[in-house]
Amino acid sequence: MSSASLNGSDQIMRTFDYELRRHGFAGNQCQIVLELAGKISPEGLRQRLAALQKEFPILNARVKKFWRPQWKIPATVTNDIVVRVQRDEPGLREQLLNEPLRVKRGELMRFDLVECVDGQMEIIFTWTHLLMDATAAEHFLAAVSDEKIVLPAAHPPPPAAPEKWPARLELMKKSVAQLDKFCEQQPRALKTRHADAPRELNYRVEKFSAEETARIRAHGAKLCGVLASAQFHAVAAVLELHLLHEKLGAATKSYILPMPVGLRPKGRIEPLFSNQVDMLMVQFLPEQLATAEQTVAALKAQTAQALRDNSISYGRKLAALFSFLPLAVFIRVLKHGLKGEICSLFFGDTANVNPKLENFLGVRVENFTHVAAVTPSPGLGVIFYYFRGELRFTVIHAKTVLSEAEAAYFSAALRFRLLNP
Amino acid sequence: MIQASDIETELLAFLRREIFSPDTNLTPETDLVGAGFDSMSLVKTLLHIEQKFGKWIPEGEITGDALASTRALAATAARILNE
Repeated sequence: MSSASLNGSDQIMRTFDYELRRHGFAGNQCQIVLELAGKISPEGLRQRLAALQKEFPILNARVKKFWRPQWKIPATVTNDIVVRVQRDEPGLREQLLNEPLRVKRGELMRFDLVECVDGQMEIIFTWTHLLMDATAAEHFLAAVSDEKIVLPAAHPPPPAAPEKWPARLELMKKSVAQLDKFCEQQPRALKTRHADAPRELNYRVEKFSAEETARIRAHGAKLCGVLASAQFHAVAAVLELHLLHEKLGAATKSYILPMPVGLRPKGRIEPLFSNQVDMLMVQFLPEQLATAEQTVAALKAQTAQALRDNSISYGRKLAALFSFLPLAVFIRVLKHGLKGEICSLFFGDTANVNPKLENFLGVRVENFTHVAAVTPSPGLGVIFYYFRGELRFTVIHAKTVLSEAEAAYFSAALRFRLLNP
Repeated sequence: MIQASDIETELLAFLRREIFSPDTNLTPETDLVGAGFDSMSLVKTLLHIEQKFGKWIPEGEITGDALASTRALAATAARILNE
């Protein structure tokens, strides 16, 4: 048995897992769905996973907490990664999304192979966000598919040495000041509006053709700059969120968006079994949402200021610092900061899907979908990504927060805005 | 007058240290976007230019051509800094 440390981002993912389960949801688990042109052999997949498990026993690890939480990694494989073959039927994908992984027993991922009526197959890969982020999961899947791809170091490196006390106090002071400033215009996320709905998540995917993607890229470059398509996506999402709040009569003085910022140096994938993400927290006031140009200006100004102040890392550093706290206490502290909220909308942009995933175990991948969990407040998230150069986004919602019709409205409105800003 | 070559040297050191992994063979001609340079990398780079040379270059001044390489980015920065 060996152990490995959790970093601050892992600790945040662990906290969200606790928060979701506490509200009766499956947990903080993500999915990648690969729609294949044909079928793969379940036995071939099992053998490949067994080989990877042997090489990387962290795939069987459990989190144990004494003073600080740690991965406890068994010396040998304790249980096989689940690979199930399912017949396609209505509601199956939703059911799989809401089926919890038994993380405490070391079940960190599973594979569902869905046989479709037309002879095709879907691979639904579900993993706990605690283990790795979406970029790492894409790389892991590529290595499952192709054994020539070498996976990097098995264990995440230990987090940087804790700051000394004066630096810790300064960090806490700055973080509190930032949240207090946000709360001068208090954000209020969507609340439970459908209390009788099942404690489940569902999702919708919007796909764009190559021609539509080119149009959206051109709109983004014109509005936000040459490299800033993610900013354009965020701006479109927050503008539509504002309209959704107005439509639902959920007044708020501001909207808080956590924008993920990758921590891996460009050109590097390791550490793989770890979340390598910081969160840039940005706030939008209703008057900054009058036009897309004003929204872009607000986002750009806050991004530059956050980099100047080094405030992007506040959440990750504080999570690492306070990882000794019980999760129930930590989530209360986290929510207390924003007066009861976590954010107004979960936003993600994973950019281009790993090109090695255009085939899986020798079969062409026709389509690709990212899905991630969202905590029940705000109960809404959107992830953008490009597959074979074509844009997609997934809207994820808690059924307790948005009905299917409301989620469909938000999704369609966001699609329209991206095409017609 | 700030020389483009001085900015290029400074940028190369910064990009190698702060943006790209040591495995990336970054030369003055390397295609930055092709190597993974993104919008956050750009803002960090512009902030570094501001710290080192005392002037903020708005993102809007950076075109696709300016991101063709570190050399092209340095030339664009020199033009704006010397205006």
